[in-house]
Amino acid sequence: MINFGVREVAISTVPVAPGWAYVPDTGSAASASQPSARKRMRTLPSASQHETTAKQDAKIMRELAALDRENHRDVSIPVPIRHRDNAGRASHGKVTPAVRKILQSQKTFANHLADYEALSAINASQPAQPNPPPPLTSGRATPTTAGPQPPVGTKRSYKKRESAATAPTPLRNVSTVGESSTPVVSKSESSHDTSMTDAPNTLLGTAVPPASHPEDNNPLLISRVPQMPSQEEIEKMLAAPALSYNEARGSLTAEDRRKPAKHFCDVCGYWGRVRCGRCGGRVCALECLALHQEECFTRYGA
Amino acid sequence: MAPRRTKSSGPVPPSRTLVIDNGAYTMKAGFSSPTASSTASVIPNCMARDREKHVYVGSQLEKCRDFGDIVFRRPVEKGYLVNWEAEKEIWDHEFFEDKAPLHCDPRETGLLLTEAPNALPQLQTNCDQIVFEEFGFASYLRCPGPMLNAYNDIQAMFKAPARDAAQSLLPAEIILLIDSGYSHTTITPLLQGRPVQSAVRRLDVGGKLLTNHLTRLLSLRQYDMRNDTYLVNEIKEACCYVSRDFKADMEATWKGPKGDRREIYETGGGIAKDYVLPDYHKRTKGEVRDHDPDVAGKLKKMQSGKGPEVAEDIVTLRNERFTVPELLFSPQDIGMRQSGIAQLVLESLSEIPFGLWPGFLANIIVVGGNANIEGFLWRLQVEIQALAPTECIVRVVRPADPIVSTWNGGAELAKEVDLLSKMSVTKQEYDEFGAGWVARKFGGDPNWKW
Ligand SMILES: [Zn+2]
Ligand SMILES: [Zn+2]
Repeated sequence: MINFGVREVAISTVPVAPGWAYVPDTGSAASASQPSARKRMRTLPSASQHETTAKQDAKIMRELAALDRENHRDVSIPVPIRHRDNAGRASHGKVTPAVRKILQSQKTFANHLADYEALSAINASQPAQPNPPPPLTSGRATPTTAGPQPPVGTKRSYKKRESAATAPTPLRNVSTVGESSTPVVSKSESSHDTSMTDAPNTLLGTAVPPASHPEDNNPLLISRVPQMPSQEEIEKMLAAPALSYNEARGSLTAEDRRKPAKHFCDVCGYWGRVRCGRCGGRVCALECLALHQEECFTRYGA
Repeated sequence: MAPRRTKSSGPVPPSRTLVIDNGAYTMKAGFSSPTASSTASVIPNCMARDREKHVYVGSQLEKCRDFGDIVFRRPVEKGYLVNWEAEKEIWDHEFFEDKAPLHCDPRETGLLLTEAPNALPQLQTNCDQIVFEEFGFASYLRCPGPMLNAYNDIQAMFKAPARDAAQSLLPAEIILLIDSGYSHTTITPLLQGRPVQSAVRRLDVGGKLLTNHLTRLLSLRQYDMRNDTYLVNEIKEACCYVSRDFKADMEATWKGPKGDRREIYETGGGIAKDYVLPDYHKRTKGEVRDHDPDVAGKLKKMQSGKGPEVAEDIVTLRNERFTVPELLFSPQDIGMRQSGIAQLVLESLSEIPFGLWPGFLANIIVVGGNANIEGFLWRLQVEIQALAPTECIVRVVRPADPIVSTWNGGAELAKEVDLLSKMSVTKQEYDEFGAGWVARKFGGDPNWKW
């Protein structure tokens, strides 16, 4: 169940043999998994028809975490200890305290990202704080937006301009190119599913955007040739600071969210057209269902 | 605020530059100077330990003959240089020790070092401090890897006349650079060699995820290969492709309903491949063959009676060949909440004035190891074309060697001493103005003009 796990099936039913220990795949997620295996045996049959989405989400999260791993097992490969004489060693002179701290740090990327987010939160709550390290307060760059700028700290809201109904097409935006830079084509998800009504910052003069038309995307209806932005506008765009790590993450577009999820057979990988009544897993047909149920039985009980 | 260094007052730039494209899986490294250009060495950016407990550092890995149960420690995580203890060990081994393959004295060498876009400021500062305070490079430019590709001869990639070598180097005017590597895939629109930062997007699908996904599928269906990801990566590189017609390929690889084994499944339908696993004794490298339906049967006979020397471990790949790279186009298939690469290209463009779209769409360049996956470019072009305004021409190309393309661009840039030194920071400047100043210079502060 956790990730790679066919083998793990044995664990809930067979006592662990001496000298053999199962090494969890994912740090925190896995540590909780073994105790919960027993609990699941009790609770699942009653809830068998519809595995809760929370459970399915948790399973997906575990699997994605496993797909992110460097090694299947947790390993530590220490830097080799050198001979005292330092023969052939590169010598870079005195180690400064800053360097020593960096070299000794065993922080992971996740640690650093958490630090950054915490610092950004502090920064956002104290917008007047002078002179922070470079891009800490940089939000999604909005250099060419003519309308009201979102306040520092809530810049992310810029990205939420997602009003599905009135998604402006690139073509409609052509007339204001340079003033407003964001022809939203297939728009993006932000951290929340807000469909915040677009502030009228892409429009000159009118507060109410024109109603959308199904043919808005049709290039034949273009009213004027797209204008190249001026060199000045380009310079402005190029001067924008980098997005943060999370801001640059690609979204799940509204269109993709509407598409029905594809399901695959857990056993052979073909389309998963059949649903296992016990665990909610998917299989293609009877042959794979039989195989699946053997395993499913061992894991969850009858 | 920015102290301007005039050419006459500054120190003489170092005579050569060490260009490092510091990837998570491999680093690409070599020297460049106005008079001589080397080629990139592709060096595993890792420490590895085999089952005999022997530890390999960087390029030492080529001496390894048995990759069974091998484990890795990689200083670059999620595309970013995180662990300097391990990276220093590798850099020392490759660049600074007496017998280092690319030996140099940093005090008389410039460094051009890439980073993935949207790096964390703390990691950038760590990097700057190590470069100057620990290694003491004479000068240093840290920049996002994708932008260096603008210094390659882009026109030649599109089969246009090559650029005039007599003219001084100018970066390509407009390209959309997709870098699909081990950790992730990034989309970076570049104008005049500079990134449009607000439009940079990342898809969290890279070679590692694809390999791990393939490992999972093979372990569920055939052999437990969870401790053989090195080998699974080789299987992936040898067998995986991006499908032109996903549904049709799924049909061609399905075994059929119970009791009605389909002929096309048995014969392989032109898709199934057998991969002969190395045993690291007689066979140190795996090998791909067209699927032989009799092999499984034969194998049993051999193992039961005849000589063991003919017994081979074979993995048969069917839908695994194309469902794995499909994740680049449909990450939702494994539950990721991200759209595929083509949609993200359009999301990136949505941050850019429409007048520039035709230029970007007609000049899409794909670099990084995944660019080598068969069928990837074709599919990408088709999907982007389907999403793009119909009047836009979509062209997707990859350089001859997409893995060293970023490095090549860096080497081109490093030949232009004046240009490079304008973009770089010297050790003297670092000592005088400090790490924060360096961060601002490399951070694209609007007060800075390159
Ligand atoms: Zn099946
Ligand atoms: Zn089941």
